Amino acid sequence: MLKSTYVPSPAVLQPLPAGWTEHKAPTGHTYYYNAETKESTYKRPVAVPAPMKPMDNYHQHQVVPQIKLSDPNVANAFMAQFAPPPPQQQQHGGRGGFGGPGGRGSFQSRPRPQPVDKPRSKVAIPGHEPWVLVYTKYGRRFAYNSAKNASYWRIPEKLMPAILELDKERIRLKALGKSLDEKDEGDKQKSAAGPSPRPATHEDEAPAHDYDSSEYEEVEVTDDEGDEQEDGNAPKRQRTEEPTENQGPVEFTEADIAAQLAAMGADYADDEEGEYYGYDEEMGEGGDAGVLLSEQDTRELFKDLLNDFNINPYSPWEKLIEEGKVFDDPRYTVLGTTRERKEVWEEWSRAKIQQLKEMRAKESKKDPKIPYLALLQEKATPKLYWPEFKRKYKKEEAMKDTKLSDKDREKLYREHINRLKMPQSQLKADLKKLLESVALSALNNTTMVSHLPPQVLGDIRYISLDPQIRDPFVEAYIQGLGPPPADDQLAQEEEDEAAKKRREERKRREKALEERERAVAEEKRRQEKKVRFERAKLREEERELERAMQVGKKGLQSQLGVMDKDAVMDDAALM
Amino acid sequence: MPAIRAASKRKPPPEGFTDIEEDLLIFGNKMKDAQNAPTDNIPKHQAQWPVFQISHQRSRYIYELYYEKEAISKQLYDWLLKNNYADALLIAKWKKQGYEKLCCLRCVQTKETNFNSTCICRVPKAQLKEGQDVQCVSCGCRGCASCD
Repeated sequence: MLKSTYVPSPAVLQPLPAGWTEHKAPTGHTYYYNAETKESTYKRPVAVPAPMKPMDNYHQHQVVPQIKLSDPNVANAFMAQFAPPPPQQQQHGGRGGFGGPGGRGSFQSRPRPQPVDKPRSKVAIPGHEPWVLVYTKYGRRFAYNSAKNASYWRIPEKLMPAILELDKERIRLKALGKSLDEKDEGDKQKSAAGPSPRPATHEDEAPAHDYDSSEYEEVEVTDDEGDEQEDGNAPKRQRTEEPTENQGPVEFTEADIAAQLAAMGADYADDEEGEYYGYDEEMGEGGDAGVLLSEQDTRELFKDLLNDFNINPYSPWEKLIEEGKVFDDPRYTVLGTTRERKEVWEEWSRAKIQQLKEMRAKESKKDPKIPYLALLQEKATPKLYWPEFKRKYKKEEAMKDTKLSDKDREKLYREHINRLKMPQSQLKADLKKLLESVALSALNNTTMVSHLPPQVLGDIRYISLDPQIRDPFVEAYIQGLGPPPADDQLAQEEEDEAAKKRREERKRREKALEERERAVAEEKRRQEKKVRFERAKLREEERELERAMQVGKKGLQSQLGVMDKDAVMDDAALM
Repeated sequence: MPAIRAASKRKPPPEGFTDIEEDLLIFGNKMKDAQNAPTDNIPKHQAQWPVFQISHQRSRYIYELYYEKEAISKQLYDWLLKNNYADALLIAKWKKQGYEKLCCLRCVQTKETNFNSTCICRVPKAQLKEGQDVQCVSCGCRGCASCD
């Protein structure tokens, strides 16, 4: 038997209104039956003028009122909102929960857990003082009048313009990339996507057991018109908060948002031209991109972009496009077409790979033996045979390196184990011999113990001595050596060259940026000039028009007279 | 068939493989996904299109690395071909004039078609009717004539 998880809340235990009786269904559910209207419901009916609660908390607004479905107003509002009216959730008599199809009963007894919405932040609506726009946790919003203690999901008509302004402001901020609260995102989503999932706050207080989703909706619809509440009907009835969720967003359709954005985009083009480089090139002038930046500059900028995003030069172009990391950068749009971009990318990757190759050639080759020997020193013991050791440490990086063959590894291992058994004096002598064999340029009194040359590190004789004995020994030996021979000029020169290259690069980039800024400023100036010129021209024309309109009694003659006078004066000037 | 050797006993790939290993892995994963994707709801002839496309992309990738960017060594290139990372026969076609963008070998195979001609995707866009949108049957190519 299905058990209801429903715990009666104090609100429910109010006395039943007249005409209703309480019954128990065979399943154990309690249901209520109205003999007059032949209505039955699982929900405990409550007398219509329910006591009003103080609204210190928004949650309390969301208590679901027990609205009479027979109320024609409510029914009409409901029909208007949901085109296909959901089936009435009225089951008669003893059929109780079994009226529906089989699975339904269990579904009804345990409604899906609904997330609880909460108010999260509020914004005062400028111009309508007591009114506040409250955003909820799930990004929905409603208008709240703190003076009247009234709140509406549907935003009243008179607040509409102010809220539109607010929205515009917010979208503008967002477009500018300023930090915004997360609420806005949710809100935007909502307004774009139309009605959001239905709220669920009543879950905690409303009797839960026989809610079908359709009935749920029904209850939510109750107060359809905001003005109805304002007329003072409201206090008589318990207020509901859910209702017009699906009407609210109607005002904010996608088209609206798009229009707003377009309007704002126009604003930017005027205001922030200087600040927002990529923008005007992309949006406005189109062909003028070439005017602002030389081709070389655009190419360099795109390459800088590729460098900055650490794009792997070996990766295919498709990967760059698929990842789409670079799209948001304004430098992406300095090049007009994808074909150009691909061309520049190709050039860049070729150069970059060449550069990498050169760098690698310069870099000393790493001996794969060194990490392996370090591993041996750390882990190898005479207690383990080679296969055991191999199996035990197969996950180590040094064991997986393909540069060193398995055979070599085995050989080194066996040798190392054998050497561990030798007397210490012998090992010391061997190490000394090894150190002596290294040239003075590689090993001298400036060498640090932690940075020994690879010849030493890659030798089995170096690791066979215990580090605690070995390190002081090596240090002492190094101190006894002479200074390094004077051949590090080469290294210095190399460094100089690299530094010079870097400096040049930097200068070039800065210059490019400067040029770009200058070009933008120039463009701006030119446009301003043009606007001024146009305006002056317009004024001139207007004045002319005005003059033309002032035709006195003399009619056309006055005008002709003026022209004659001008001609005379011109002639005089010529003479 | 020779026994497949353990990874530790195999010869290591040539120098420079580590640079492109990751991208090749991505291609390999894509290929696996394409091969395992269900083909219930698509026309039969389209079932293999993604496989052809990925194979083409990967071959193109290696071809460009070797011939255009000169980013990989001859040894590595040969090794890649030997290990079937790229389609050597397709690359051989790309080197010929008029076949620089060829999508797949099946599209130039005249003997298997009704009229003993190449695939529709080999026809230059200029010669097609205005606004005609073609997608070839064998690999889903939308046009691979060199002059497009």
